Amino acid sequence: MSNLEFGPIMRALLRNKVGAILIALQIAVTMTIIVNAVFIIVERKAMMERESGLDEANTFYLTTTGFGKDFESKRVTIEDLALIRNTPGVIDAIQVNAIPMSGSGWSMGLATQPGEEIESVGTANYMVDDHALNTYDAELLAGENFSPEDIRFRERNQSDWPDLAIITQALAKSLFPELGIDEVVGKTIYIGDNEAMIIKGIIDKLQAPWVGWNNLDHVTLTPEMMAFPSMRYLIRTEPGMRDKLMTSLEETLANQYPNRIIRNVETITATRDKSYRQHSAMINILTATMILLTLITALGIIGLASFNVNRRRKQIGTRRALGASKQAIIRYFMVENLIISSFGLILGVGLTIGLNFMLIEWFAVKALDWYYIPTGVVLLFVVGQLAAFGPAFRAAQISPALATRTI
Amino acid sequence: MLKMNNLCKSFRTELVETHALRNFTFSVDEGDFVSVTGPSGSGKTTFLNIAGLLENHTSGSYLLDGIDVKTLSDKQRSQLRNEKIGFIFQSFNLIPDLNLFDNVDVPLRYRGLSRAERHQRIEESLARVGLANRMKHLPSQLSGGQQQRVAIARALAGKPRFLLADEPTGNLDSQMAKSVMGLLQEINQQGTTIVMVTHDPELAMQTSRNVFVRDGQISEAETIMPLAAASNQ
Amino acid sequence: MFTYYLNLAVKSIRRNMGLSSLMVLAIALGIGACMTTVTVNYMMSSNPIPHKSDQLFYVQLDNWGPHFPFNDENEPPNQVTWRDANNLMQHRQFKQVAMGTSGAVIESDNRELKPFMAGIRLTYTNFFSMFEPPFLYGGPWPSDADDNMEQVVVLSKKTNQQVFEGENSVGRSLTIGGNRFRVVGVLDDYEPIPRFYDVSTGAFQSPEDVFMPLTLKRPLELSSGGNNNCWKDPDGEGFEGYLMSECINYQFWVELNDIAEQKQYLSFLNAYVEEQKTLGRFPRPLNNRISAIMEWMEIQEVVADDAQIMMWLASLFLLVCLLNTVGLLLSKYATRTSDIALRRAIGATKQAIFSQYITESALIGILGGILGLALALAGIEAVKSMYGDFISEHVGMDLTIVGIAIVLSIVSSVLAGCYPAWKACSVPPATQLRNQ
Repeated sequence: MSNLEFGPIMRALLRNKVGAILIALQIAVTMTIIVNAVFIIVERKAMMERESGLDEANTFYLTTTGFGKDFESKRVTIEDLALIRNTPGVIDAIQVNAIPMSGSGWSMGLATQPGEEIESVGTANYMVDDHALNTYDAELLAGENFSPEDIRFRERNQSDWPDLAIITQALAKSLFPELGIDEVVGKTIYIGDNEAMIIKGIIDKLQAPWVGWNNLDHVTLTPEMMAFPSMRYLIRTEPGMRDKLMTSLEETLANQYPNRIIRNVETITATRDKSYRQHSAMINILTATMILLTLITALGIIGLASFNVNRRRKQIGTRRALGASKQAIIRYFMVENLIISSFGLILGVGLTIGLNFMLIEWFAVKALDWYYIPTGVVLLFVVGQLAAFGPAFRAAQISPALATRTI
Repeated sequence: MLKMNNLCKSFRTELVETHALRNFTFSVDEGDFVSVTGPSGSGKTTFLNIAGLLENHTSGSYLLDGIDVKTLSDKQRSQLRNEKIGFIFQSFNLIPDLNLFDNVDVPLRYRGLSRAERHQRIEESLARVGLANRMKHLPSQLSGGQQQRVAIARALAGKPRFLLADEPTGNLDSQMAKSVMGLLQEINQQGTTIVMVTHDPELAMQTSRNVFVRDGQISEAETIMPLAAASNQ
Repeated sequence: MFTYYLNLAVKSIRRNMGLSSLMVLAIALGIGACMTTVTVNYMMSSNPIPHKSDQLFYVQLDNWGPHFPFNDENEPPNQVTWRDANNLMQHRQFKQVAMGTSGAVIESDNRELKPFMAGIRLTYTNFFSMFEPPFLYGGPWPSDADDNMEQVVVLSKKTNQQVFEGENSVGRSLTIGGNRFRVVGVLDDYEPIPRFYDVSTGAFQSPEDVFMPLTLKRPLELSSGGNNNCWKDPDGEGFEGYLMSECINYQFWVELNDIAEQKQYLSFLNAYVEEQKTLGRFPRPLNNRISAIMEWMEIQEVVADDAQIMMWLASLFLLVCLLNTVGLLLSKYATRTSDIALRRAIGATKQAIFSQYITESALIGILGGILGLALALAGIEAVKSMYGDFISEHVGMDLTIVGIAIVLSIVSSVLAGCYPAWKACSVPPATQLRNQ
């Protein structure tokens, strides 16, 4: 289409470089920010969507801390668990040393051979009894659950490990990459360099306490209860019963013994929110930034285009007099915007990749997937065209009679 | 060529209704060179705007080349302007950001002509006004007379049958005015109908026919001037 | 003359309210975003103890295993073992402090008060002379209390409020973890940001509720809090076995006044490690380090990556806002060419026109800056509510930040206004009068 006027528009733009350059730069920087921000948002979203393996909506936990010289932690634990498990609405409960996603817990190194020179695989350790799988809502993929006879008591400051373990599928894959999960059952692994444990079972999924850890899906369950003054109970309830049981159980347990305090009664949902708070905040802030930025850039385009329209009223009238239809005037300004956007976006692609490189270099940001670039380009073309349409439409309303006015 | 019958144009604001043209009846034949004179505020410019399809009239009829323009859409009017009418403005109305070539190119673009055709016409018409060697210059680099020549070249490039000139020499000194006028006469002799609005009676004398507008109406005192007076220039 | 320009600027801004508010808003958003993120970064990287930050050094010893380094970069471990903490503290020629955390239930003698869980900092009396927390009542325990393992405590203001209702409790007693302790001092408000003396479990927590001698850990078998990291299992059994293991759980600081002292201390550390090597410990090559506070904060990456990313993006955001403003000012001033030409024709100098238009730019900048400050205040509140305890609740704008914001907004808008004002003053006086 020869009447798209690319050539003359280009040449006219070159006569008024500054305004066009300002808009092109704005578009370039806007694209740079938006594409990188969207990429970070998408990454964080994916991170936040990882499943803990728990029945998150119906699980909560609390900490019980006994004090005083005559606090009998073993007896209290056994009685507490019996009480909790027999409470209507409770599906199951365990005493445990750490909670998935909570940020604090124990970890150890596991290896397939003994010896401190062997590189080990990191795992989170949960000390649980035979009710763990049910409480965790975990599916046993191979092997067996712990039996009540497997469970021992770990004394305070005791550092040896039981000789049985149930591990997650992901941990099994890391320890024995070439074996199927059925073959892993019965294998011996070494914890803390040289203490042997036999894998009794493999579960589908359970997360470690640290959401930023790269071994998040590595979990080892060992069959033991803890005779510690301070410990946690993880409680899974029937749907809809969680909040009611949180209050009632806190009170019941607190009244059970005078020499202890019940604290940190918290849902898994709240724990998840807390642990990912930094990421959801980042997502919110980046989203707000993107929206404001797009708005500012669009307003900038509208402002400058309106100015250009005002500055060229006479010229537009003349063009109309010389036979330009309204559409031709609209097209003129749209094409002009398209040209400016193109320059801005060419620069924008470079800047986007540049900023991404810098973020990779300085911060733990990954390399951009290629398709973010064309998506960003198309998006900003659309924003530019939408912003330019208003002023262009107003330009088209300028009367051709303006051409004969001599003011 | 141009036939206005009982044409009225009124502008309405909240308070008053102004009649710019009243029962304006006027026609121009093919090949005429008509000058329209009158004091300022008489309706000359309104007449020009309506004749050039830049504005619509309120009532009455206006036939341009046999077409009743009242019923045309904006797009059709634009097309008609582009194809049949060439404009020459008092302040030239060249586009300052475009060089001479691109300025003359403007109406041709809207015509949708091929690249080769456009090039040929631009070169031809710029050559005709004697500016073929300044194609890459910007309007601001030219004198007023040269700028008006470019405007004439722009009007001619579309090969219009009808040329509307609005005080074409109003912004020029007498020397330049003379040469521009000469150019218009030459164009008229080659068959293009010209209607020129001017307040300058001397200029009006050089056209084949002069009409006088006062208070939005044609004054009956039409003077027919011998064409020969100016043609030997 | 300036008031005249100001007058003209106000009139001009009023004449184009839409365009003017757009410019003010753009600058405000840019400044607001920038200042919010700058404040967060400024707070995170603030110097918690400026007058001593060159004298306080964090101590690292590489007691890690022979086969694998503590981390990929072969940094020495970020804490020390119980054994090393105790051994080093024996050397009284240096002003050092070892510390760790614990937790226990506090029972008041007042039976009405429910027992509650308290965070405990186990340390030496040097903690108070080195880090200088302010005291409300009493003072630090005497140094022989460390040696004699006396059951004495310094309480935080909040704990004193809880247990003793804010009264001067020096000399009174309370039960912590089943043991009786005597109060020797009560701290006033103490909130170092970051909590530099121990960043192993996050840099923006509040100081502990109770401070007591670290030497009590062994006799009272106090539990271990914080981060506990081991490269091998304890050789011995029980609490004692754990204490004597290679597990790191303690922070160690030293106060050194000049480079000579630093060198001396480092050679002392090296000599100590060499001596330990003869006992079969420290299998790795010598890798001891002392870092001044701010250096240590940087190594520990106290300023979160996210905060820095946001600050970078916010600066780019401000850039866009400024480009926007330049464009809009340019447009605005371009519509006034006839006005300028007239002024020039009747004798205004170029400088006069420039001053007039730069005044207008600056006025827009100041308005934008003020609104931007308000936005930044809202932004900081929003950031705080979104992050919760990830960043301290004590983040706020101080005078420095407010100053930076105002200077930034004026500088950036004057910069943005420079080109348009220059364009405006280069309008020639005559030509615009005739045509247009």
